[in-house]
Amino acid sequence: MSKARLILAASILAFLAGCTGLQRDHVQTDQLAGCPKQTAAALVLEQNQLGPSSDTHTLSCALTVLRDTKDPAIRRTALGSRVCFHLAERETKQENREKLAAEGVRFAEASLAQGGTNDGAVHYYLAVNLGLAVREHPTQAVGNLGRLEAEMKQALALSPDLDDGGPLRVLGSLYLKAPAWPSGIGDRDKALELLEKAVKEHPGHPLNHLFYAQALWEEGDEASLSQSKAEFALGQKLLSEGNWGYNKEPWKKEFDEFRQECGETCPAQQAQ
Amino acid sequence: MRKTCLIIIASLLTPFTANATPKPEMIVVCYPGGAVNAKDANVAMSSMLRVVERVGQWQANSFNSLFTVKSDECRKQVAEKNPKFAIISLGLYLELRSQHNLVPVVQPKIKGRTSERYRVMAQKDKYKSLDELKGKTLGGTALEEPSFIGKIVFAGKYDPASFFVLKSSNQAIRALRSLDKGELDAVILNEQQFGGLASLQMKTPLEAIFTSEEIPLMGVVANSTTTTAEERARFSKALEGMCSDTEGKKLCDLFGVESFVTVDAAVFEPMVKLWTEGK
Repeated sequence: MSKARLILAASILAFLAGCTGLQRDHVQTDQLAGCPKQTAAALVLEQNQLGPSSDTHTLSCALTVLRDTKDPAIRRTALGSRVCFHLAERETKQENREKLAAEGVRFAEASLAQGGTNDGAVHYYLAVNLGLAVREHPTQAVGNLGRLEAEMKQALALSPDLDDGGPLRVLGSLYLKAPAWPSGIGDRDKALELLEKAVKEHPGHPLNHLFYAQALWEEGDEASLSQSKAEFALGQKLLSEGNWGYNKEPWKKEFDEFRQECGETCPAQQAQ
Repeated sequence: MRKTCLIIIASLLTPFTANATPKPEMIVVCYPGGAVNAKDANVAMSSMLRVVERVGQWQANSFNSLFTVKSDECRKQVAEKNPKFAIISLGLYLELRSQHNLVPVVQPKIKGRTSERYRVMAQKDKYKSLDELKGKTLGGTALEEPSFIGKIVFAGKYDPASFFVLKSSNQAIRALRSLDKGELDAVILNEQQFGGLASLQMKTPLEAIFTSEEIPLMGVVANSTTTTAEERARFSKALEGMCSDTEGKKLCDLFGVESFVTVDAAVFEPMVKLWTEGK
């Protein structure tokens, strides 16, 4: 085979393996004991009950069922991707977290292929899973920034209120943390605009306040620092007082990490 | 210098011997005026350092990085840590070179060039020359280093602090938006920022009313008293091979760096002369 053909073959293989370089294998759930007998259709009907407050066993059982379904109407929904995201977000082992998130991306891609393009949740969970899958790998993260932005923009256009302003919150955070122009899509003006909107329209979500606090803190001037402190304190209060299920711990970690970063400019740790 | 180049170069800093290093060698990385979060930058550099350690068959975690976007913090860290190698801007190199015996080791090559030009941009047809900007507002990220702008970019002909009303910013895009709205009279851009203008949708066309001479891109510097010539040569060689390594090439491609080249010391001599003679 000529060198050119070898290169072509390698390129095609690379494409088929997924351009994002995400994990390809599953976290094993098929040996789970004690799963209730349930169908994918029943899970879709009760999907609102599957979320941050569901225990890990319940979500893993649901994932096993969703993996096996061939029903296009079910595969078109965002449910599989959403279940993967909730499992990934609480997973402490990086390898498993990335496998779950990568599977969430594949679920969402399958949804799009089945015609789920007008469902904002599909784009939203695709993007948040993709973010989780690549966040520890800077080259992959930078390589996927364009896709993350495009998917989250779609989610924002179709379902801005999903997950308490999730598209506003995540897109705002993306603009805050991505490399700035001209080397990247990072744009603090856009970040502030979106995160301020998230806080105004969805004031009950702790991360809306945390991310807005982070954006304000990056501004560095006195007025912004003062407002950042207030937003941070409000987010922390919402987190400690609300019922956030399994999200509480990873979110608390995010608050703690930001507190470490901002040092004296952040308020003292709240008594638990 | 481009932030991305700084990060790549940081990832390439190599230990001076192949032996295990019990304590990680601290690499001070300074990017004055950069809109980058130090924590995120350190995470990125750490990840890349691990790649380099693996590719170069050095012990994992032989290196650590310390990143700052503040010139004062950079001066402090270079003084305190006395690093063997550092990644600093040209301005900081010129300022600290005598005090810390710094010598340039390697330069990045971007789009076939190892130098860049700075430009002062204004709304089209509003000003004809830099002289017309006296007393007017000038913005831009490069203003974090006003001495560098005055002595090197303006070649000692204008003192930015007294000639303009300086509006320093760590975000070039915000400064350009202000220029577009007429809130600023001019913005100074480096080569990368100038090259990115086409991607912005500005209401008012802009034009360059000043273009600097070619200014060499700065990469890695070494302390010539705490490193040997062999160490510097070895380091330089490792960097030169970076962009032809399979993994390294991905990083180089990602950040638009073609290669890294050993410094020709003569390239920096005119800069040192300008700096020394500058007002």
